[in-house]
Amino acid sequence: MKLELGNFFVKDITFGDNTSFNNGTLTINKEEALSVVREDEDITEADLVIVKPGDKVRLVPVKEAIEPRCRVAGGSVFPAVTGELIQAGNGRTHALKDCSVLVVGKHWGGFQDGLIDMSGEGAKYTYYSQLKNIVLVADTNEDFEKKEQQKKNRALRWAGMRLAEYIGNCVRNLTPEEVETFELEPVSKRCEEINKLPSVVLVLQPQSQMEEMGYNDLLYGWDCNHMVPTFMHPNEVLDGAMISGSFMPCSSKWSTYDFQNFPTIKNLYKEHGKTVNFLGVIMSNLNVALQQKERSAQFVAQMAKSLGADGAIVAEEGYGNPDADFIACIVALEDAGVKTVGLTNECTGRDGASQPLVSLDEKANAIVSCGNVSELIELPPMETVIGELQSLARDGLSGGWAGDEKLGPSVKEDGSIIMENNSMFCGDQVVGWSTKTMKEF
Amino acid sequence: MKKAILYLNQFFGQIGGEDKADFAPVINEGQIGPAMELNKNLENAEVTHTIICGDNFMGSNEEEALKTILEFLENKEFDIFFAGPAFQAGRYGNACGVICKAVKEKFNVPVVSSMHVENPGVEMFKKDVYIFKGGSSAAKMRKDVKVMAQFGDKLLSGKKLLPADEEGYFPRGIRHQVWLESEKPASERVVEMLIKKLNGEKFETELPIPKSDRVAVAPPINDLSKANIALVNTGGIVPVDNPDRIQSASATRWGKYDISKMEILQAGQFKTIHAGFDPAAADADPNVILPLDVMRAYEKEGKIAKVHEYFYSTVGTGTTQAEAARMGQEISEHLREANVDGVIMVST
Repeated sequence: MKLELGNFFVKDITFGDNTSFNNGTLTINKEEALSVVREDEDITEADLVIVKPGDKVRLVPVKEAIEPRCRVAGGSVFPAVTGELIQAGNGRTHALKDCSVLVVGKHWGGFQDGLIDMSGEGAKYTYYSQLKNIVLVADTNEDFEKKEQQKKNRALRWAGMRLAEYIGNCVRNLTPEEVETFELEPVSKRCEEINKLPSVVLVLQPQSQMEEMGYNDLLYGWDCNHMVPTFMHPNEVLDGAMISGSFMPCSSKWSTYDFQNFPTIKNLYKEHGKTVNFLGVIMSNLNVALQQKERSAQFVAQMAKSLGADGAIVAEEGYGNPDADFIACIVALEDAGVKTVGLTNECTGRDGASQPLVSLDEKANAIVSCGNVSELIELPPMETVIGELQSLARDGLSGGWAGDEKLGPSVKEDGSIIMENNSMFCGDQVVGWSTKTMKEF
Repeated sequence: MKKAILYLNQFFGQIGGEDKADFAPVINEGQIGPAMELNKNLENAEVTHTIICGDNFMGSNEEEALKTILEFLENKEFDIFFAGPAFQAGRYGNACGVICKAVKEKFNVPVVSSMHVENPGVEMFKKDVYIFKGGSSAAKMRKDVKVMAQFGDKLLSGKKLLPADEEGYFPRGIRHQVWLESEKPASERVVEMLIKKLNGEKFETELPIPKSDRVAVAPPINDLSKANIALVNTGGIVPVDNPDRIQSASATRWGKYDISKMEILQAGQFKTIHAGFDPAAADADPNVILPLDVMRAYEKEGKIAKVHEYFYSTVGTGTTQAEAARMGQEISEHLREANVDGVIMVST
């Protein structure tokens, strides 16, 4: 399997007559783009806004981030989600880099939605403040979930994907500034030089703990709740096979953009043939019942062992209950003789004194930690808010509240806010961007 | 200029050695012994008073010692409290921890001490007190006092504190997120850690998992009909006036109560003081936690030889592992002396 990612670096974004990319400038025909958004009749209101690093802009409730791309030979960027089911990870895909399509609710937020500040103190809490963003601000007629804390956000998330494909399409026939090639030989057909390096797998535990469909991460359109762990080529993950869900407290969430750019996969590629033999990805999941958790752990350990893995990295998209899946998987791998490193965030409470993970085991002796979901953050008012600031306090966002005995409401009258890190959009960056860690005080 | 007060034991307070270890607490204006050194090193505060108390006095009359010392402090103005350094002296370390914890709780000022890593006071009080990693003996006095003073100055100046390892005190079990100066992303850290682990090289986890201290299962009692069985519980069953004033959560105290003349635990005579569950059922019938009624029945049937004359009680909720282990050791000494063969340990 050989994936060529043709990269076009976006230096500026403007609205104009033709959606096109020229000399680093991405121009978008706003009306045409919005007509793509409105293809879904559930969308009742929609607007596009461009925001750039340094802008005095606060976005909330942010629901999704997607990198604009196109599949050069045709076919949907997100197989079985926005088009026919085809194999991802093979051939040429073009991508607009340093930018993302952000999907923001015009009014209503939920547990899984987050906040982005494009400048100031708050900017450091999320990766997306560094990108130029095409922001879709929209509302829908999905009244059944308007007042629900958990929202599927289906119409908005799918509109974001269509928009990302529409924009990505403008570089289909252009020559990219850079081509990244991702290729791995079949596991049993590698040369001696590579075979003698320690073999490693990357185990991913995407969020799949909702029993009802419509909330979980999707694998080629398939709900990750309905699968047992499976072996994948890393290119599939980088090339649109995985779609972010709409369930997890936001700082722990992996957006679709995160999957498309998965830094830990890219770093394992970099080390492949030098320090490790990168076998591939074992796509696991996160479960509700104990037996389901143990079943997945057992599948992962067996698969890693059968593939001849000496080492593994296990990354979880979540905290709290999923920690049980995370630790069970590490223990199963260690018991199978596979040396394992975990990749996660922690929940040590606002005072930092709580047990960091719900489940602990001495066998999990190597963990990289990316932050504390419950760290308190206070931020001053921002000149412009895109979306609705009150959603942070009103709609049950995981890091916001309507009232607190000591702290008052999350949103103050002057527009300043107090919140938990939980609601920073994909803030803990467990996929690998995180420059945060945890220290003892 | 802000104000500091230092606690010392009888030895460093220049009262005397082991023969003066029963010395009752006193407070002196000004600086005695290490207090002079502390005062010399402190830039943001002056050491106004020195408190001195014998190690044995604190050890055997902790309640009285604390009461006296807290009374001394009642009308004093101070911004920070120091104790020690206690080096490797176990009783002194315990005393520094006890007094620092009490002062912090009552006066809400920062408390700072210094002990050697092997001083048992470290394990017992590191969660409550900034305890700096000190030397094993008084030869390190100047160095340890200087470290305490520098950190005290930093606390008083309101400067941002660094993680425990960088400041030099024992981690207090408080974990917060920080941005790495190196800006090294997690994707690189995780692959580097994996490569080190694969190659058998030393690596440092970012989330140290505490060692679980497992106790082996005891061998079974050969003949129960000859066994003396004791009842112990962490469900907080105590006489209604709670004579030992065991705390309802985060307990550090335990009690021993005579049941030799009782057939059952009467409601109204015993109750639970545990704050971690609804007490209604246990208050209505304390035997649901401490099953004296059932044990007496077994005694009559000859299933066991006897129920030990006393039961032992503390509260489990929020209690640290270190305190629990200490109390367990203390209780087991009593059980051994009384030739108890087996224990029914009731948790809630």
